[in-house]
Amino acid sequence: MTTAKDNCFTVEGKLALPYQYFAGSTGSRFLISLRDEKKIKGLECKKCKKVFVPPRSTCEVCFEDISQNWVEVKNSGVVTGFTIVRYEEPHQPVKPPYILGLIKLDGADTPITHIIKGVPLTKMKTGLKVQAVFAKNTTATILDIDHFKPMAEKPKMEMGYTYDELEIGMSASFTKTISETDVYLFAGISGDFNPMHLNEEFAKRTPFGTRIAHGALPQSLIAPVLGMKLPGLGTVALEITVRFKAPTYFGDTITAVGEVVEKLEKRRWVRMALRWTNQKDELVAEGTALVMPPVPLPE
Amino acid sequence: MGNRKKNRNVGIVGIGETKFSSHREDVNQPEMIHEAVRQALDDAGLTMDDIDCVVHGNMELFEMVHQPDMWHTLGTGAFGKNAFRLTTGGTTGGTLVAAADNLVASGMYDTVLAIGFEKLQEGHTTGGITNMADPLWARKLQSGALTDSAAVKVIAEFGGDRARRAAMMYRIIMDKHACLNPNSHRAFGLEWDQLEDLMKNSPPLIGDLRLIHMCSQSDGACAMIFSAEEKAKKISKNPVWIRDHITVHREETLNLCNNYYPNETTHRFAAETLYKRNGIENPLEYFDVFEMYDPSAWWGLDWIRDFFLLSGDEHIRLVEEKEIMINGKIPINPSGGVIAANPIGATAMIRVAEAAKQVRGDAGPHQIPRPVKHAMASSFGGTMWTVLFLLEKELNWQGGKHD
Repeated sequence: MTTAKDNCFTVEGKLALPYQYFAGSTGSRFLISLRDEKKIKGLECKKCKKVFVPPRSTCEVCFEDISQNWVEVKNSGVVTGFTIVRYEEPHQPVKPPYILGLIKLDGADTPITHIIKGVPLTKMKTGLKVQAVFAKNTTATILDIDHFKPMAEKPKMEMGYTYDELEIGMSASFTKTISETDVYLFAGISGDFNPMHLNEEFAKRTPFGTRIAHGALPQSLIAPVLGMKLPGLGTVALEITVRFKAPTYFGDTITAVGEVVEKLEKRRWVRMALRWTNQKDELVAEGTALVMPPVPLPE
Repeated sequence: MGNRKKNRNVGIVGIGETKFSSHREDVNQPEMIHEAVRQALDDAGLTMDDIDCVVHGNMELFEMVHQPDMWHTLGTGAFGKNAFRLTTGGTTGGTLVAAADNLVASGMYDTVLAIGFEKLQEGHTTGGITNMADPLWARKLQSGALTDSAAVKVIAEFGGDRARRAAMMYRIIMDKHACLNPNSHRAFGLEWDQLEDLMKNSPPLIGDLRLIHMCSQSDGACAMIFSAEEKAKKISKNPVWIRDHITVHREETLNLCNNYYPNETTHRFAAETLYKRNGIENPLEYFDVFEMYDPSAWWGLDWIRDFFLLSGDEHIRLVEEKEIMINGKIPINPSGGVIAANPIGATAMIRVAEAAKQVRGDAGPHQIPRPVKHAMASSFGGTMWTVLFLLEKELNWQGGKHD
């Protein structure tokens, strides 16, 4: 037997497959609800209690006529399966790659197939909660739902440690280099134009021999510790005491540390020990703070 | 014919037909099928639990739907049951009945539901039919399903005037029948005095085939339930028995030269074989009704001769003398036939269903006004394919002497 292909014609062909489809009164009613009310409706089998979405006029298992048992289901649901379409065909509704999912709407027992947008392809997973996004221009087709998108999660308010979460010994710190600019800005903020901080010639004659920062400037570095780290966002400072131990020169790098030392059960307040040190580990200041940790916000 | 044995008798115990029309926008495919299935079940007094197997069929690609039997389960009731899909072109409905007959007769299943359907308004029949043509020799030349070959032949044999007049008489008789059948898609109320006018003025399609001669495209479904003798007698007070059926086809002959009519051969061959093995000597005397798959008035007129093994102009005279009318010697298509409604996948099954209704005596307004004991039903499909059924009221058939 020979398999030589010389002089063998291949007949190339292409046939159009035009068609229309009668949705019927049941299918049409579903589409009308989508188009006019942006509501998704299903049909319930009274016998097996299944709700079919998309609707079907017969329950295939019970073989009952269910065409009049309309129920409304939610526009949201859960993805029970999906695939990522990566090949491109002229008849696709959107350009690949896109996610095609099976979505069981809340209140339905059968999943509906649709496009899912707004999820990174690599992050897509079954069990995702999604909601319908309706098309701006209606066409009375299933594409009156343009796509499904992940359920918008309520933006969660960030908050520091609550009283119950705080434990004695927990600590946090903040470090910053104090520059000449910081000192001049602080002078402007506080109105303290003491020449100790601003006049080099004056300062040369003082025991420090040069300008030093306002004591309250390194002290203020405990504020980001208490208000943003420990206990953190939502904290109210009730009392701060401080004793200055060494000057802060321009260019010094100051570290402020707060540590939980006592939990005051009755008021649900917390006492903290405070320490400020410089780049040479010299103690710049020490003190205490009494703070009211954040309490959970009402919904 | 090789080894052929019917292990047990098969009875038709349930019949359902939808209303046939050009458009059924109110229902989708499974819903339309469900109407016929529900009717057949109610007619038999059965539920889906009583059905052992579902046979489903329509034309390939006519609705541009792939594997319709799968998603039609909603309407067919085939969920969890044994099921088949058959698609044999125009004969599909007949093949469905033949398959159900075989499945029950063999002992494989006791009760079988067969469903034929079509929603021709949804598809593109020429697109589907063109797929049938040989891609190398014929596809680029394909012109669809219309042909005036029968007209050419009848005119050549009997002369233009007599042939055209007889074809139009056949057409008006079919319309008069269609007007009696509430399920008809097309029932115009044609009168005899319109004959001359229609012969001249009906829009021509191809040669002497005019629009009025030709069948329509219809939407509709037919469902039938078949059961083995013992059960059939319990289910139905008047089951209609399938005495015999035959399938004959020779599609390859389409490529033969003009003026060769292999369809004549398949119809005649089927009829000859069936009569011979059943001892029917004079079919015209024996049968009380014939439901013929007549896609056009020309074919219908011409094929009477083949099916009844007539010679000369006997078939023309049957028409001219109106002996094929509902109250004539041999009523043909009291339902109105295929020209009245043509949901193709159902069409051939409707022939059997309508013949069976005539035997039961409950066809409705188009019931033949005298007892019907012996019926024949034919199927026709592309390219040249015949399925022919013999139906009986009683199980005591012996030969074909008219009683």
